[in-house]
Amino acid sequence: MHRVDMSVAIGDLVLANPVLTASGTFGSGKEYADLIDLTRLGAIVTKGVSTSPWSGNPSPRMAETASGMLNSIGLQNPGVERFIADDLAWHRRSFPQVPLVVNVNGHTIDEYISVVRRLDEEEGISAYEVNISCPNVDAGGMAFGTTCEAASEVTRAVRAATARTIIVKLSPNVTDVAAIARSVEAEGADAVSLINTLLGMAIDTRTFRPKLARVVGGLSGPAIKPIALRMVWQVSSAVGIPVIGMGGIASATDAAEFMLAGATAVAVGTANFVDPRTAVHIVDGLEDFCASRGIGRVSDLTGGLITPDAAANRDREEGSR
Amino acid sequence: MCEEHRLDGQARPMLREAVVTSNEAVSADVWLVTLESPEVASTVAPGQFVHLKIATGRDFILRRPFSVYSADAERIEILYQLVGRGTHELSLAEPGDRMDLIGPLGTGWEIPEAPVRALLVAGGLGVAPLRMLAEALTRAGSTVALAYGAPTAERLTGVEIFSAAGCQVMSCTDDGSAGTHGLVTLASGDLLGTGEVDIVYTCGPEVMQRAVAAQARDAGVRCQVSLERLMACGIGACLSCIVPTTAGQRRACVDGPVFNAEDVIWGDS
Ligand SMILES: Cc1cc2nc3c(=O)[nH]c(=O)nc-3n(C[C@H](O)[C@H](O)[C@H](O)COP(=O)(O)O)c2cc1C
Ligand code: FES
Repeated sequence: MHRVDMSVAIGDLVLANPVLTASGTFGSGKEYADLIDLTRLGAIVTKGVSTSPWSGNPSPRMAETASGMLNSIGLQNPGVERFIADDLAWHRRSFPQVPLVVNVNGHTIDEYISVVRRLDEEEGISAYEVNISCPNVDAGGMAFGTTCEAASEVTRAVRAATARTIIVKLSPNVTDVAAIARSVEAEGADAVSLINTLLGMAIDTRTFRPKLARVVGGLSGPAIKPIALRMVWQVSSAVGIPVIGMGGIASATDAAEFMLAGATAVAVGTANFVDPRTAVHIVDGLEDFCASRGIGRVSDLTGGLITPDAAANRDREEGSR
Repeated sequence: MCEEHRLDGQARPMLREAVVTSNEAVSADVWLVTLESPEVASTVAPGQFVHLKIATGRDFILRRPFSVYSADAERIEILYQLVGRGTHELSLAEPGDRMDLIGPLGTGWEIPEAPVRALLVAGGLGVAPLRMLAEALTRAGSTVALAYGAPTAERLTGVEIFSAAGCQVMSCTDDGSAGTHGLVTLASGDLLGTGEVDIVYTCGPEVMQRAVAAQARDAGVRCQVSLERLMACGIGACLSCIVPTTAGQRRACVDGPVFNAEDVIWGDS
């Protein structure tokens, strides 16, 4: 079998392979280090980090649903200083060779900026993933990522604050995700990642109570994959910057679908809970997928989708030759 | 404090494929599955759990955490009640089936080295993590009393094992079909009243554990509780399983499931 070039580029950042972990499902990697070889990952994306500690939501915070799960963790994290002292220090000590992408959160633009400014003083961070699904306290708690204006504003401010690679993570809880993607591209985002969780809920009919203490929460897992794939396809058709696709990815064929739809790289989230080896299996599986088809570079999968129209066009061209 | 309470020398979690050696109903809706997994079986400490991948098919189903009921050099036993999709699926597993497990996980019971007079208080299947504890305490020369509450006599799962192991057992049933007619806290209250208890360990419904913790506190006796939370990752990464404590938010899957009762900030449940 051919050797496959598995490397991909996200802006200036070159990754050994296109498989990342999705924020919030992987800590900063430490918890998984006993179970898998972290050096096999394209990059580790950390849980959300904010400027001060966030205590998150009351329990229950999790509910299993058909082919997925709901969570309302509420971005609980100990704040940027503790992140630097614990997680970042651990990463630099144990796995400095694995690119680390820090997921950045804020309730105000200033909070996003102060996280990025503080992290910019530290070595060992490859990129920021800016989570714009956070509630904007200056706009009645509506998520930044739900309007082009607010999404642009966060991106512009973060862009001005750092020279590091910025990935803006898009919310799927919008009517036109491609419009949001174009807005953040225009403000200097180096890449976009999507999708974050879809807003959902579940009810316990024995108690008449919601299954999550916060009533609503984010749906993730295989249940959301078709929606995620559709959004990745729409966004990658609308922007020129790389797209990192996620949402229900559990196998190499899932990952290949996202790449064919236009993703440059993919991230594995909820599937880590079912099998911590999933991301590593996907790295191997994608390589086999390419090798068995004579594809020399995994990046050749990106945007390789043949749509009925394109197929018809090609047939027409070939027939006229 | 909770932070320091993680026991030294506890085995690091492993990802292993276990083999089902038996899987049978022990009463109407309680089952016992035996899994062969020597490395996990020989390192699991009392009060720890394993995170089992139950589904063998392609269907998405999260892992389920189960307390280890007993362990020898080769095998672990898990006691489970058929409550939902995961446990129903588990009951279909047959000897020879392979099942992925992560373990041993979590922080288990603190077992005093010097002999003590221990009171164990179990509610229903909360008995599961107390069996290995009773064995370890007995080995250390401690005396063990068990106050065990269940809805009916049939649901006093494994009660005879504790008696046979030399524990003093007080049973309580909701319907009076065995032991005392009433709540287990009647028995635990009586025992604590004698002043002959050095430490209390409890597992079962959270309302019961909370009541037992209050009894222990009033009697000036140390108490450890084992709290159940819904878990996604089981290894400390997702923060699904939070327990509010005086030392901040703790994860039931890593910092627990066993906590010092005095550290727990009890909720409304
Ligand atoms: C428990 C949990 C916590 C999450 N925390 C974050 C977070 O802190 N920041 C973020 O941008 N996304 C977070 N997400 C969203 C995931 O990164 C991912 O976008 C989403 O779950 C879809 O991918 P999946 O179906 O593979 O899980 C979280 C998801 C889950 C399930
Ligand atoms: S279950 Fe994920 S942190 Fe405890």
